[in-house]
Amino acid sequence: MNSVHFSPGTAVITRISDKQWHALDDDRVVGRGDVSRRPDGRIFLSIDSWHGAVFDQLAATMLTTLPAPLYTVVDEADLDLTASWQRAGFTTRRREWEYLVPTDPLVTGLDSALSPEGVHIVPMGKAQEGPLREVYDAIRAEVDASVGWDSMPAEVLVRPDGTVPVDPAKYAVAAQFDRYIGLVRVVRVTRLPRIGLLAVRADQHRRGIARALLAHVLEALRRAGIETASAEVNESNTAAVALFDSVGAERVSSNLELVRH
Amino acid sequence: MAKIAKGIEVEGTVVECLRNATFRVEVPNGHKVLAHISGKIRKNYIKIVPYDRVLVELSPYDLTRGRITFRYRS
Repeated sequence: MNSVHFSPGTAVITRISDKQWHALDDDRVVGRGDVSRRPDGRIFLSIDSWHGAVFDQLAATMLTTLPAPLYTVVDEADLDLTASWQRAGFTTRRREWEYLVPTDPLVTGLDSALSPEGVHIVPMGKAQEGPLREVYDAIRAEVDASVGWDSMPAEVLVRPDGTVPVDPAKYAVAAQFDRYIGLVRVVRVTRLPRIGLLAVRADQHRRGIARALLAHVLEALRRAGIETASAEVNESNTAAVALFDSVGAERVSSNLELVRH
Repeated sequence: MAKIAKGIEVEGTVVECLRNATFRVEVPNGHKVLAHISGKIRKNYIKIVPYDRVLVELSPYDLTRGRITFRYRS
C-alpha cells in the first residue's frame, strides 16, 4: 500500500462552519475538529487527527475561539488521545464505567428480585406518555438539585423546540398506584441494547425499585434472545455501581469526561 | 480554489475489540485495519462491538490504520 509523508507544523487550520474545523496539509484533510452543545448547555469538543502536532494546532485554534468551560470525552485506555487533551489544558472531571450486563437471571441473581409491596412495573411501550414525562421531569429536577443532571450518562438528542423526547416505547416504569416513581430507558438500535437511564424518585430510594426495574428489563431482553446489554455508570454514583456490580455486570472500559476552565 | 481531498473511506466489519481502545476491522479486500473511534462517535456514546458494520477512514500516512467514523444500524 502507498502512503504519504507529513511534516509536523505544516497543517493549515480552517474553520469551515460554526461547528467544524479542518486541518489541511497539501489540500488533504489531516485533522478535524468538531463542537456540539449538549442538552444541558455544555459545549463538547472532539478532535480527530493522524498526528499529535495536528491535534495541538487544531486544539490551539479551537480553544482561542470557544468560550470556557469546554468538555470532551475520551476512552481512558486511549493514552495518546488523553495525553493530547491534557497538553491542551484539560483535566479529568469524572469517570464513567462501561458495563456489559448479562440478562440471564442465573448469572444476575435477579430472578428473585421482586417489586416492593404496592409497586408494579409497567413494561416498555405500555407507560402513559403524560405521567412518564412527569416522572422524567421530576427525577431530572431532583438530580439537578443534588449532584447535577450533567453527572448522568449521555442524553438523548433534544427536539428542535428544546424539549427532550420521552418515548414510552423505550421506557419501563415503576408505578405505585397511579403514580410513576421510577423509570428505566432501554435503547435497542443494535445487537447490544443500552440501558441509558435508571432512576427512582428521591423519596422512594432504598426500596429495591431500581433493582426491580433492572430485573424487569433484563428479563424482557433475555426473552427477546439478547444475552447482554450495555450501561454506563458514573463511578461516584455508589448506589448504581453497587447495583451493577451485584448483578455480575462486567466493567469492560471507562470513559473520562475532561474539562478545561 | 484548490480541491480538498477527503480521506479514503471504506466499509468494513469489526472483527476484534482490542484493549487499547482500538478495533480490528476487516475491509472488503480482506485486509485488516487497526482503527480508533472518531471523537464524534465517542462523544455520542455509540458502542462498537464485534460484527458491527462500520465506515472507516484510512490514514493517508499508514493505510493499515484508520478511524471508525460511522456505525451502521444493521
